[in-house]
Amino acid sequence: MADVIFIGLSLSSILLLIALGLTITYGAMGVINMAHGELVMIGAYTAVMSGIYLGANLFVALPLAFIVAAGLGLLIERLVIRHLYGRILDTLLATWGIAILLQQAIRLEFGLTFFDINIEGLGPGLQNVAIPSFLNQPWMIGDFTVQPYRSFIILLTLALTAVTWFLLYRTSLGVQVRAIMRNPDMAAACGIDVKRVSAYTFAYGSGLAGVAGVMLAGFKTVSPDMGSSLVVEGFLVVVVGGVGSLLGTVASAGLLGQVNGLFATWTNDILASAVVFGLVILIIMWRPQGLFSFKGR
Amino acid sequence: MLTLSGVDSFYGRSHILHDLSLQADTGKILAVLGRNGVGKTTLLKTIMGLTDRARGLLTLDGRDISGALTYERARAGIGYVPQGRQIIPDFSVRENILMGGFAANGSGRRIPEIVPELFPYLTDNLERPGGLLSGGQQQQLAIARALAAQPKILLMDEPTEGIQPNIVKQIEESIVRLNQDLGLTIVVVEQNVSFARVASHSFAMMENGRCVAAGPIDALSDEVVAEYMTI
Repeated sequence: MADVIFIGLSLSSILLLIALGLTITYGAMGVINMAHGELVMIGAYTAVMSGIYLGANLFVALPLAFIVAAGLGLLIERLVIRHLYGRILDTLLATWGIAILLQQAIRLEFGLTFFDINIEGLGPGLQNVAIPSFLNQPWMIGDFTVQPYRSFIILLTLALTAVTWFLLYRTSLGVQVRAIMRNPDMAAACGIDVKRVSAYTFAYGSGLAGVAGVMLAGFKTVSPDMGSSLVVEGFLVVVVGGVGSLLGTVASAGLLGQVNGLFATWTNDILASAVVFGLVILIIMWRPQGLFSFKGR
Repeated sequence: MLTLSGVDSFYGRSHILHDLSLQADTGKILAVLGRNGVGKTTLLKTIMGLTDRARGLLTLDGRDISGALTYERARAGIGYVPQGRQIIPDFSVRENILMGGFAANGSGRRIPEIVPELFPYLTDNLERPGGLLSGGQQQQLAIARALAAQPKILLMDEPTEGIQPNIVKQIEESIVRLNQDLGLTIVVVEQNVSFARVASHSFAMMENGRCVAAGPIDALSDEVVAEYMTI
């Protein structure tokens, strides 16, 4: 039983990292970023590429992926999203387009396949990332098997959640982000540069997605379309937790990850997903605002 | 001095303000009067840059701010106390006040010295969530927040609307004090003609998004009030 909960916790952790980025960008900017899953995928490919070209392991890939995904997020915000503020359906479509663009860019190696140039690590094929060996040796505490890689994921997620909490609640930038989440007009009237702060927020959320991608690369095969289902799962977490609520996102990721893990162990993955979806529908019917929500957007 | 000349303002396709010109003299109180729905709130929002679109000339102390973004206007010295107060319910009183400080120049974000004098309740309850305050206390909080921006000019949108009578008095007194003691220029949207007559130096009467009468407050005759304010 402890094993199952442990697996559930690590699932929750990945979900949480994906959902954290989504909830702060949706909360602060009202932007539903359909390309968020692709930023996870980019993070995973950063791990693959840094392994191949830099000989770097997963630990080096983590900050690299954060930077790459955050930079890409900043670019997406500048080039597309900034021009579509307040037009939620348009941003939905535009970011979906970006998602497809990113997938195809990786699949076609930025179009270089047409010229018979191949970049090792990219392309439509599946890639694997090796986990450092010391994270691969399970050890025992009594009857309980500790999976070091899963523990590592859980700890890193805890640390990043703490960092996010600190940034939001203990820094001046965080006050600005929370003010924008609650009342963007009033935030601007109080001298907050909403566009600049939003751009940083978007970059940070994207960076978290990149980190989630690296961790995912450790136990899943990396492929160009690995991210497309993640944005849906991320949004389930956000909607159940309550948009813009850090505590809600943590609780909801924990809940959904555990339910998924439990049912996957008792039955199978497909039934587990169905149970999760069913649970989400019930929760939304019961509390349309999510489990934890402030009166906001 | 804040001047508007030939200002038009829009929400989507609705044209709300038409060719509006007025000025708020430095160190004086300007009362903006008129019935509900004539564009008084839109006027303040236009000055703040919060409407969808506006054209015309807007200057603050001779500087053209027509093209400035909302946060730049706030940093240029325009403080805004909006209708309905719009404080943030889950921010503490302290956080709500300090939020205004993002527009303050230098010296960082702090609670202005005059706040404990004007609104002792606020400084006694700094850690209370803003949402738990009464309407009148929230109004005081909104004023304190605007003051934290160290503004040169304060825009106040019906500051005594829907507030219990004893606090109305307190807020009216604080408006006069802010003007007299701090020398703040104040543009106040009011329904209460008698307060406007006592406190303000000049007035602007609005009707259908236009300014239909303006001048020193002595020129606000009962006929003008009867024509544009009685329902």
